Amino acid sequence: MVADEPTFARLMGSAQTGDKAACNVLLSEVGVWLERYFRRRVPPHQIDDLVQEVLIAFYTKRGTWDPSRPFLPWLAAIARYRWIDHLRKVYKHDSKELMEDDAIEDSDEEVVMARVSLDRLFLKLPEKQATAIELVKIDGLSIREAAEKTGQSESLVKVNIHRGLKKLATLVEEVE
Amino acid sequence: MEKQATREDLIAALTEDLTPVERVRPAQGAWLIAFATLVAGVVCIAIFEFWFGMLTGEASAFYWITNGLLLLLGAASTSGLVAGALPRVGVRGNAPYWSAAMLGVVPLVAIITVVSLEANHDHASGALSVLDDPLTWYWECGAYGTMAGFVIALAAVLFLRRGAPVALERAGWLTGLAAGSLGALAYNITCPLDTVAHVGIWHTVPVLVWAVIGRLAVPPLIRW
Repeated sequence: MVADEPTFARLMGSAQTGDKAACNVLLSEVGVWLERYFRRRVPPHQIDDLVQEVLIAFYTKRGTWDPSRPFLPWLAAIARYRWIDHLRKVYKHDSKELMEDDAIEDSDEEVVMARVSLDRLFLKLPEKQATAIELVKIDGLSIREAAEKTGQSESLVKVNIHRGLKKLATLVEEVE
Repeated sequence: MEKQATREDLIAALTEDLTPVERVRPAQGAWLIAFATLVAGVVCIAIFEFWFGMLTGEASAFYWITNGLLLLLGAASTSGLVAGALPRVGVRGNAPYWSAAMLGVVPLVAIITVVSLEANHDHASGALSVLDDPLTWYWECGAYGTMAGFVIALAAVLFLRRGAPVALERAGWLTGLAAGSLGALAYNITCPLDTVAHVGIWHTVPVLVWAVIGRLAVPPLIRW
């Protein structure tokens, strides 16, 4: 069972004052919360990496939580920020890894849920951008293959992915 | 701190290093930017001297209105900027953008005034037309206001780096708007040139310049 808002807030308040025991419990609970949060947003094999990344960011920026404000929206904002950053990194540096991505083969419930969540966001993107992201980032096609499949030039596929990811970043800033 | 082999290892390492942390408060950012504006103003006064004419009724209404709008834009953008230094979800206020739009009326009025005066000017009369007036083309005020904005931009970036902004582009725009408006204001109090054309264009152009600089240069500086 994941901790509730008052528990998170109390633990965070203690962690800000240097209470190590509270911090340990808090980080564990935040880890569980983040795991659930990312379950619908990234392929399963990337979750632990992303959770660790957010835990580090959470810890580094713990001074930015204001005890007079709710804890979970603050945590969600950090998680979203790191998620978008993760997507950008994947786009820029890990295209090879994505092409060998086995997430599609792991057709378990988590993957299905991740797709459902992404599909919901994709509905808000122009069709060409959504298609380009889907083919390259999710289906693992190369830029050239995606270009051949869609009839777009390679440059246009890249532009559509870039703009689409940018739009996604804006969308997740808004209240879902 | 780097990632560890397991999440448990990471949590143990982070816990081990834990120390009490000083909270980041938006008010600190607001004070820092106010102080930077004061520093910019004092430097401008030291270099160009304060224009006492504004206190003895010499300044035009347009001069006061422009500076008032710059101050409002500076306050609105600073307020949005420091609030955005803390992670949060939800719809953010757009008061800074409306304030910028209101200030945008000023150069618009200046351009309309210049064009209409020029169109109706009797060149045969020998009187100086608005386009021939050297005050209209005294661009240096825009440059000085822009330079003064650097101090405010520096303060804003330092504060944002302490915080954890999650909307980097917005933070960039707001830094630019705050730096441009408050930098221009810091310089304008030394400038005795208060014609509509001069004030409307050269006393507001730092806002435009800094908005572009802020949007392009600030996000990479505050990424975390």
